[in-house]
Amino acid sequence: MTPCRFRARYFWQVTMYIYLPIAEVSMHIGIIIGLGGGVGFLSGLFGVGGGFLMTPLLIFFGIPPAVAVSTEANQIVASSVSGVLAHMRRGNVDFKMGGILMVGGVIGSSLRVALFSFLQSIGQIDLVIQLSYVVFLGIIGSLMLTESVRTIIRSRKPGAVRGKLHQHNWLHGLPLKMRFRRSKLYISAILPLLLGAFVGILAAIMGVGGGFIMVPAMIYLLGMPTSVVVGTSLFQIIFVTANVTLLQSIQTQTVDFLLAGLLLFGAVIGAQFGSRAGALLRGEQLRGLLALMVLAVCIKIGYDLVVRPEDLLSVELLR
Amino acid sequence: MTRLQPVILGIWFAIIALVATTAANAAPTRLVADLSQSHVDITSGYHGTELLLFGAYEGIPGDELVLIVEGPTNDIIQRRKEKRAGVWVNVETLLWKQAPSFYHLFSTAELSEIADAQSRLKADIGPLAGGLQLVTGVDGGGNVHGDSTPKAAVKPAMAKLGTADQNAGLKRNMTSNGLWQTNPASIITQQDMLFRTMLTLPSNVPTGDYSVRILHFRDGVALSERVTDMNIRKAGMSALIYSFAHDYPVFYGLFAIAFAVASGWLAAVAFRRG
Repeated sequence: MTPCRFRARYFWQVTMYIYLPIAEVSMHIGIIIGLGGGVGFLSGLFGVGGGFLMTPLLIFFGIPPAVAVSTEANQIVASSVSGVLAHMRRGNVDFKMGGILMVGGVIGSSLRVALFSFLQSIGQIDLVIQLSYVVFLGIIGSLMLTESVRTIIRSRKPGAVRGKLHQHNWLHGLPLKMRFRRSKLYISAILPLLLGAFVGILAAIMGVGGGFIMVPAMIYLLGMPTSVVVGTSLFQIIFVTANVTLLQSIQTQTVDFLLAGLLLFGAVIGAQFGSRAGALLRGEQLRGLLALMVLAVCIKIGYDLVVRPEDLLSVELLR
Repeated sequence: MTRLQPVILGIWFAIIALVATTAANAAPTRLVADLSQSHVDITSGYHGTELLLFGAYEGIPGDELVLIVEGPTNDIIQRRKEKRAGVWVNVETLLWKQAPSFYHLFSTAELSEIADAQSRLKADIGPLAGGLQLVTGVDGGGNVHGDSTPKAAVKPAMAKLGTADQNAGLKRNMTSNGLWQTNPASIITQQDMLFRTMLTLPSNVPTGDYSVRILHFRDGVALSERVTDMNIRKAGMSALIYSFAHDYPVFYGLFAIAFAVASGWLAAVAFRRG
């Protein structure tokens, strides 16, 4: 081995670790930026924040769960801003709809504070987080998978008839109707407000932006056209995750700025490539792939819940 | 090597000091201990470090040494899982007050060969020996409710678990995260006069004031004991970010958001032109 190669290896293996001041552990820079880039690519591709992948991955790599949730919120702000600008250029953001979803989302993510301390007091915060992952990823993943597979099969058949734009049901009979030109909708404002609030609570608990729930809910519940869904979802995610970042900074000091900065360095680049790659795929193909990924995370977390842990005892240091 | 120069110098001084005094069976015996670094700075490049612990003692063949590096005390929550409705959930919670957040023990032999359990407890050896208290009546989050009088860890607080299993579990969990460690036969002695050992600080080492305690045993009795201080602090950028986050949380949050928005925007602009 030449001295030069040895030095390069030493540099990579020993000096490339960085101490994260809030998480209070050190981590390899390559892992952090790689995680950011990989998840960023997927987030650009599917129009989701990628938090449902990143938060479990950060915990897996030894970041304390509370720090993972708060830091991930901070990082999603950046990747969503980057993504939303790309969608704005194509005119794919419904600001009116996004604004109402945002108001709901900010209310919802603020409610989390009360919910979180309650769950912590009964000692089941981890269980609730894991169960929310399993339940919501499971439901959303299976719904999306069946829908996209059905669409793909139907589109392959010659002479397929295009269905209605969206189904009308009792939800469309609610008061406070508003016209959303960009989304070609005339629906009650209560619907996106409640949806925003609900996803906001979940987002803040699970350490995600909530895009994986928001995107299908906008398509199937609100009946928005697929083209504006991703941009509008990203738009409201910015405000929900910014709210979580601020609240967590004030209450728990668990936002690791250095970790978020390195993650978002990888993520903003990855997201740009992702949104370009997304343009090459059809809507139902994208949804099918996203569904498979969502289900994979769901199965992994669900498996961890039912399989006997190596050690039934665990410790947590209170700092 | 330059780092070790003061160490070598220190060892020489210790030898001279020992030789100058009569090495008779005076009790307590003379004991000197020092470390290669009494201040450890955790900068952003920190990824664990090694310290040399060394010193001199007035020994005779058969003497044993125990060296304990102890970190600041901390509250530790211990939880036990059980299968409920097909899912493993936390069913019991204990709160350990005043537990050492870091406890690395070094010795010249197995602890059981050095002294019996009672003398070890008397000499405060082992992470569970000292002022560690178990608080009962805590909720799942470790918050104290109702009966909050601290009780010594004598009776099993976990219903289906004996004290022994419960304590062993705490030691096992703290060992697997690298914070507690017992290293028997890890102290190297020379001529019953010099000793040294290496302390490895993990990357998740707690910050704060540490104590390095050395005990000299002869025939199962602790002849003398010496304590040296050590501290571990965040420094440089790590310290800056940490104090920013804790002293000005609102500005820290706003800054984190502004930085995220700016980088997201920058990336989008850069890629449009590219």
